[in-house]
Amino acid sequence: MTLELFMVFVASTIRLSAPLLLAASGEYVSERAGIVNMSLEGMMLMGAFGGAVATAFTGSPYLGLAGALVAVLPIALLQSVLTNTLRANQVVTGLGINILVLGLTTLGYREIFGSRSREMIAGFDPISPPILGDLPLVGTVFYQAGLLYFAILMVALIAFVVSRTGLGIMLKAAGDNPHVTAISGTPVMAIRHGAVFFTGAMAALGGAFLSIVDIHTFTEGMTRGAGYLAIVAVIFGNWRIGRVMGACLLFGAATALQFQLPAMGIQLPNALLIMLPYVLALLAVAGLVGRQTAPRALSVPFWR
Amino acid sequence: MIMRSGGASSSGAPLANNEASLPKLELTDIGRDFGSFTALDGIDIAFRTGEVHCLLGENGAGKSTLCNLIFGVHQPTRGFMTLNGAPYAPNGPHAALAQKVAMVHQHFSLIDELTTVDNLLLGRKFGLVDRKAEAAKILALAEEFGLDIKPHAVVGDLSVGQRQRIEIVKCLMQRPEVLILDEPTAVLLPDEIEALLKVCADVAARGSAVVLVTHKLAEIRKIADEVSVLRAGRIVARSTRPAEDMNDLTTAMIGRSGTGGAFGVASLPPRAPHARSRMVREALQIDGLSFFDQTGARRLDKVTLTVDQGEIIGLAGVEGNGQSELGSILAGLDHPSEGRWFVGGKELTHAKPRAITAAGAGIIPEDRHKVGAVNAMTLADNLYLNQTKSLTRWGLIDRKRQTEGATSLMKQFDVRAQGPAAPFSSLSGGNQQKAVLARELMTPNLRFLLAMNPTRGLDIGAIEAVYRSIREAADKGIGVLLISSELDELLAVADRISVIYRGSIVGTRMASYDNRAAIGSLMSGTATQ
Repeated sequence: MTLELFMVFVASTIRLSAPLLLAASGEYVSERAGIVNMSLEGMMLMGAFGGAVATAFTGSPYLGLAGALVAVLPIALLQSVLTNTLRANQVVTGLGINILVLGLTTLGYREIFGSRSREMIAGFDPISPPILGDLPLVGTVFYQAGLLYFAILMVALIAFVVSRTGLGIMLKAAGDNPHVTAISGTPVMAIRHGAVFFTGAMAALGGAFLSIVDIHTFTEGMTRGAGYLAIVAVIFGNWRIGRVMGACLLFGAATALQFQLPAMGIQLPNALLIMLPYVLALLAVAGLVGRQTAPRALSVPFWR
Repeated sequence: MIMRSGGASSSGAPLANNEASLPKLELTDIGRDFGSFTALDGIDIAFRTGEVHCLLGENGAGKSTLCNLIFGVHQPTRGFMTLNGAPYAPNGPHAALAQKVAMVHQHFSLIDELTTVDNLLLGRKFGLVDRKAEAAKILALAEEFGLDIKPHAVVGDLSVGQRQRIEIVKCLMQRPEVLILDEPTAVLLPDEIEALLKVCADVAARGSAVVLVTHKLAEIRKIADEVSVLRAGRIVARSTRPAEDMNDLTTAMIGRSGTGGAFGVASLPPRAPHARSRMVREALQIDGLSFFDQTGARRLDKVTLTVDQGEIIGLAGVEGNGQSELGSILAGLDHPSEGRWFVGGKELTHAKPRAITAAGAGIIPEDRHKVGAVNAMTLADNLYLNQTKSLTRWGLIDRKRQTEGATSLMKQFDVRAQGPAAPFSSLSGGNQQKAVLARELMTPNLRFLLAMNPTRGLDIGAIEAVYRSIREAADKGIGVLLISSELDELLAVADRISVIYRGSIVGTRMASYDNRAAIGSLMSGTATQ
């Protein structure tokens, strides 16, 4: 592999892991608060759809992002009310929501885009940050969408809030032992609702990254399991934000290999390459069994 | 001097000290019902600044309920409370804390995964935290009261005593005017108890009213300025000079003349001394058993123990010294790392629970809810849980025979329920335990019975029934290993008492009240053989 080719590989790894990183950092917050947000996939899909529709109608990708955030609100509300207020099984409700969103977005896509499905929507151009972008050789790696830099910023912000603030202590406490947390005077319910909404927003941005930044259009079921991969990244990262980010990069690299291997002249069946990140995720999680420290009250509903 | 409620002076104000300190917190005619059950009734009580007020009573007397009312966990059904003369009606713990009423719970309200500092900051800070500065502040407060804590240790790694100190610091951070401690000494070692009592006295001396719940008379003698005795939800006696009124207080607490014995077992006739003869076979033989837990910590250290047929051996020890692990091994839920064990001469070291039952061992587990019974099934199902095969024909359960058998077992062991078909979860704790006992005593070819804390959470009547059954079993030639943290119960029921400390047997004594002090010092690890 030449150095240039490697740099292209690195750049595409980072680009492909960006949506995962956005969604996974949201999921991290949710799971820290004790909620397995299985509807992450649906939230991403809804964000991708909402972003594409808003961009198509306004022509502005910024309004597109706003559209993604608005579109995910009812989904996050549904998830939050079902799992927190009504204490339904988190996995089952999440899967139900995913199926619901797949149906909704497919229907909406055919109604709205049906006649002009070949049309491209406006998107974000990659930006080249000063200094870093001018570096020889590695400069191309930094030639990325602004939303990616936002994602990295958010990871840093989440890491700071969780480890250095009272809010972070409350978040962790709510996921480890909500009853005791409530006794201490912490509004556990509010934290858990808030975590789900935060996850929704981050997942929506991750979805919008796919539709607005990556391919400039919406297709049916376009997330193709990215939401599930993001959940796996949180498990693989053992509920630590730094490792979660590493897991996202790993899955991004596996996806990038799909395009890189043929370019390097290595011929493998396409289906195998598409499987690669998922197989990797499976192996990673299987290999980690027993050595994980999940929040103790993960997926356990809370009530007084 | 001691005053009985219902007498002339039931106003709640003790005669002495009346002017010395005005009540900080006063309860007037407080009552609390849970459904049709009256947990508390007609409670008049006053807590004063600078005093340690002990609430004395047996399990289920209403002590914890009373604390929960003061701390706002529950609200009284009747009556009212005043704090500093103003009406006080907290609708939750927050409201209580806001008015400087704090409580150290029987079960700690700490989060195992967080550090000491984070636990203490939880719910108090929202924004940026400077852990170094906070740790310094916390340490200063802890040192003021002579509490030794580790600010940056993860709570889950700490001992019970250390966690309790964190819990106390957590309360003291509020500078409470009323501090409630719900049975704080139940989980502590003797020297830790000393330190805790001193802390209570210090807190009171610094201008708080301290409410100390306990059922240990020795502690009251040491520290109490005033004692109120609860029995069956009522205050039955109070005293401002508890050291002098000890006997009266004891009598009031157990509702019958106390002999210093254990409640509920005191009325059992003394057991004829077990004659050890060479003809008797061993029911249980444990040979050099060691056990390491998942983290590699040694929980049992070469335990060797023999229980003869017809003998009741008590295993005494402060909780957490390896009793649970030994129980799990004898139940077949864990396997020893070293050593072997036998029931009736048959080696069961690596046997599965089914094989252990087949060898004639009955197991009354520590936690009847989790391991002892299936709550969602009926009483009859639970009574025949280990003998379902004997009731089945061609894979079908003969319900008629099951119901008949269950009905007669219910009569024999005085299990009170609506009927054999009642859901197990609908039974009271005592009746659940009696049912588990009945099932285990019906084990075919029973040779050995393991009973772990069989009376925990039971009322006197049930305790008596449980021990009566256990003794009858021993009289029939069954060897019994009774694991309990209640020394008085062991003294009353067992023939010999072995003491477990840090995973090894540190001594064995005859079960006699004369040996009580010796056994106590063995339990605390201060004495060796």
